[in-house]
Amino acid sequence: MQQAVLSLENVSKTYGSFTAVDRINLQIPRGSVYGFLGPNGAGKTTTIRMILDIIRPTSGRVSILGHESALAVRQRIGYLPEEKGLYKKMKVDALIAYFARLKGLSRRIAEQRARELLKKYGLIEFHNARIESLSKGMSQKVQVLAAVAHEPELIILDEPFSGLDPVNQQVLEGLIRDLSNNGQTVIFSTHIMEHAERLCDQILLIVGGRKIFDGTVAEARALISRRVLLETAGDISGLQNLNSVVRITPAEADPGSEPRWLVEIGNNAQPQDILKYCFDSAIPLSRFEYAEPSLHDVFVDLVGPQAGEQRLR
Amino acid sequence: MRVIRMIAWREYMENVRTRGFWIGILLLPLMVIGIYLIQSSLARTSPTRYYLLIDQTGSYQETVESAIDLEYQRQVLQSFVDYLLDNRKERDLELTAANARTAADQLVDDVGSDEVAALNQWIESGGLDVALAMSAPYLREDAPPFQSPRRSFIQAPVPEGVDVTAQPEQIIGQLRPYLAGERRVRVDGDEGELFALILIPADVDGQILRPGVMPVPGQAAPTGVQYWSRNLADPRLPDAIERSLNNRIRDEAFSSSGLNIQLIRNIQRTRMPFSKLDPTASAGEEAVSMADTFRQYAPMGFVYFMFLALMQSVQYLLTNTIEEKSNRILEVLLASVTPNELLMGKMLGIGLSSLTTLAAWLLTLFLFLNFYDSAETSTIVQIIGIVLSSDLVPWFVFYCLAGYALYSGIFLAIGSLCNTLKEAQGMMVPIIVTMMIPVTITPFVVMDPNGSLFRTLSWIPPFTPFLMMNRAAANPPPIDLIGTSLLLLLSIFLVMWLSGRVFRQGLLRTGQPPRVTELLRMLRATH
Repeated sequence: MQQAVLSLENVSKTYGSFTAVDRINLQIPRGSVYGFLGPNGAGKTTTIRMILDIIRPTSGRVSILGHESALAVRQRIGYLPEEKGLYKKMKVDALIAYFARLKGLSRRIAEQRARELLKKYGLIEFHNARIESLSKGMSQKVQVLAAVAHEPELIILDEPFSGLDPVNQQVLEGLIRDLSNNGQTVIFSTHIMEHAERLCDQILLIVGGRKIFDGTVAEARALISRRVLLETAGDISGLQNLNSVVRITPAEADPGSEPRWLVEIGNNAQPQDILKYCFDSAIPLSRFEYAEPSLHDVFVDLVGPQAGEQRLR
Repeated sequence: MRVIRMIAWREYMENVRTRGFWIGILLLPLMVIGIYLIQSSLARTSPTRYYLLIDQTGSYQETVESAIDLEYQRQVLQSFVDYLLDNRKERDLELTAANARTAADQLVDDVGSDEVAALNQWIESGGLDVALAMSAPYLREDAPPFQSPRRSFIQAPVPEGVDVTAQPEQIIGQLRPYLAGERRVRVDGDEGELFALILIPADVDGQILRPGVMPVPGQAAPTGVQYWSRNLADPRLPDAIERSLNNRIRDEAFSSSGLNIQLIRNIQRTRMPFSKLDPTASAGEEAVSMADTFRQYAPMGFVYFMFLALMQSVQYLLTNTIEEKSNRILEVLLASVTPNELLMGKMLGIGLSSLTTLAAWLLTLFLFLNFYDSAETSTIVQIIGIVLSSDLVPWFVFYCLAGYALYSGIFLAIGSLCNTLKEAQGMMVPIIVTMMIPVTITPFVVMDPNGSLFRTLSWIPPFTPFLMMNRAAANPPPIDLIGTSLLLLLSIFLVMWLSGRVFRQGLLRTGQPPRVTELLRMLRATH
């Protein structure tokens, strides 16, 4: 494992009797893209604020870029908070340059960097516009650019995708990949699993302030069994006798369609075994789907009913 | 330091770039100048007022008429005094003694101290014509000619059909429509509203009150001369009539006792010279000049100016923090700067904005004084010159900065705890009241700058900037100067430190402002 840019040791935060974050341990390797996943109120933002030393942990230790406090290395960190806000009266390029200068860049370099970023991410024509005249998505992109303009080693983005339309979500994904290709470490939090799935080398799954899982996406997928979706009016109860089948549960069906079933299969089993059995038993199939379990499935599986709210979002 | 400077500069630029900032800056001087111009033009245009005089005794008519003429002469005299003050050669306050010296000043002084006697003298010695001739040597060469004011009060003839010999009640009954403004009186072909009726009943001499006669309980007090008017706000006419009537009956009493009226009047105008001298001035310069008087009062001006400056910074401090809080911008900043850097940056930036406002006000004042030349403005220019040349300015700068540092920390902390200006207002009240206390007692402090009460109060840090500024001209004991300054600086550091803590806690806070107990917990919390 590469050298960790960030490590948390038993970090907790309590407010009175309420425990927002409960003994989290974490190592984030340099150059990785790391996702903080979890439902709303899971403690993602609190953890991020503790990492940045905006709030202090009640107990535990944070080590960031080799320092105890992020304030000591704040020029090497970029941050996009969950609550996004900008100086409404400032012009786009001046604002990006201002934040870059707060992070130690000289005026000339900061202004130059602002221009480059605006050009690269298609916002150059708005460089002279006031923030208040921008759409929400656009000002959010500007804020992300302001967070990375000083080329920090570590970039922490809290819910960077919320409020963006699909096109802009893609632009942002591209930006995160660019940062990663550039050797910069990116941590972002989200409750939309698809982004994490596409971008992250590793993820932390946090629910109710507790760590449920951390590791690679593949490791996360391995946590739950693979599954096959069947749509049929026939009787599939015989499948249960196959060695490769772990469990069969009814799945949500479209109105008017035939019943759907989720067939979970063992790690060494082949999905073809299911198909073969159906042919052999003359079960009429109107649908057969096999896919690797998605992070969403993992999430639903691990988080359980609490995740229901997330799926609706 | 670099970060603080950057934050300060951004705050400043954001403020001065808004239109509202400059509108706010220009509004106050425009209002002050506007009010000044309106007042001086209002003073010149007083409407003509018609009155009716019905004297059933037949012996007081002349007195009342002369009283009204005297009132007019008083106006002439007053205008003449103003004219004299505006146009006299000697306008230098340093050379103008606090007590009267020249003949012109004697006249001004006479009017101030004994108006009736001065008026009589004025009329007896030839009135305006003589006065103008006498004052000519004291006037500037380029003085404009004197213009007499218009007569304010003109007598109207009794309307037809009114029986002036009837009972007072009947007369009033007949004249009521005129007094109520329903009918108008005719004077020399013009129609006008009746302003007042002076009715002197036939039996008025029997109603004169004399000392030693106690009023009989249960018996109505005598009415005497009746003055009827809907307008009771303009006291000039009734006052003049009452004064003259009293003078008349007193003169008669003097005469009937065999006393010489002229002699009495002359005695009343005798005067002992009285000079105010300053023991700290060098020999030959002990006479207290007007300038010295101004110097003594200058600290008051500084205190008020300081209060004004602080009050208008308060607004910036609060709205700025609250706006940033509601814009959700603070968290981004906090990842880049420490709360203390943010606090300091804001204090400096907003302080700079306030200084700009003050500078703009002073500049407008300067321009106004330069382009609008009159006796008042030239006096103001001199007063400013006197004040600026005194050794109070460094103290003013010190106390102003210290006061700003002390209070701005508190206001920023309040701003950080509130999400709306409305919430902030409730928390501001105790602080504003604390600021008001030393400002309200300012006039009393000038009278007794080193009194033990004010010496004690000066040691209370929130009062120190105002009270010590106020006392600065009176050579306060060194222990007060040094001690209070040290205590003030110490409390500035304490307030900054505490405010820094509250600020840090408040920045990320949402929801209602905290209660006192919660605030104390914030101060104790590590982060």
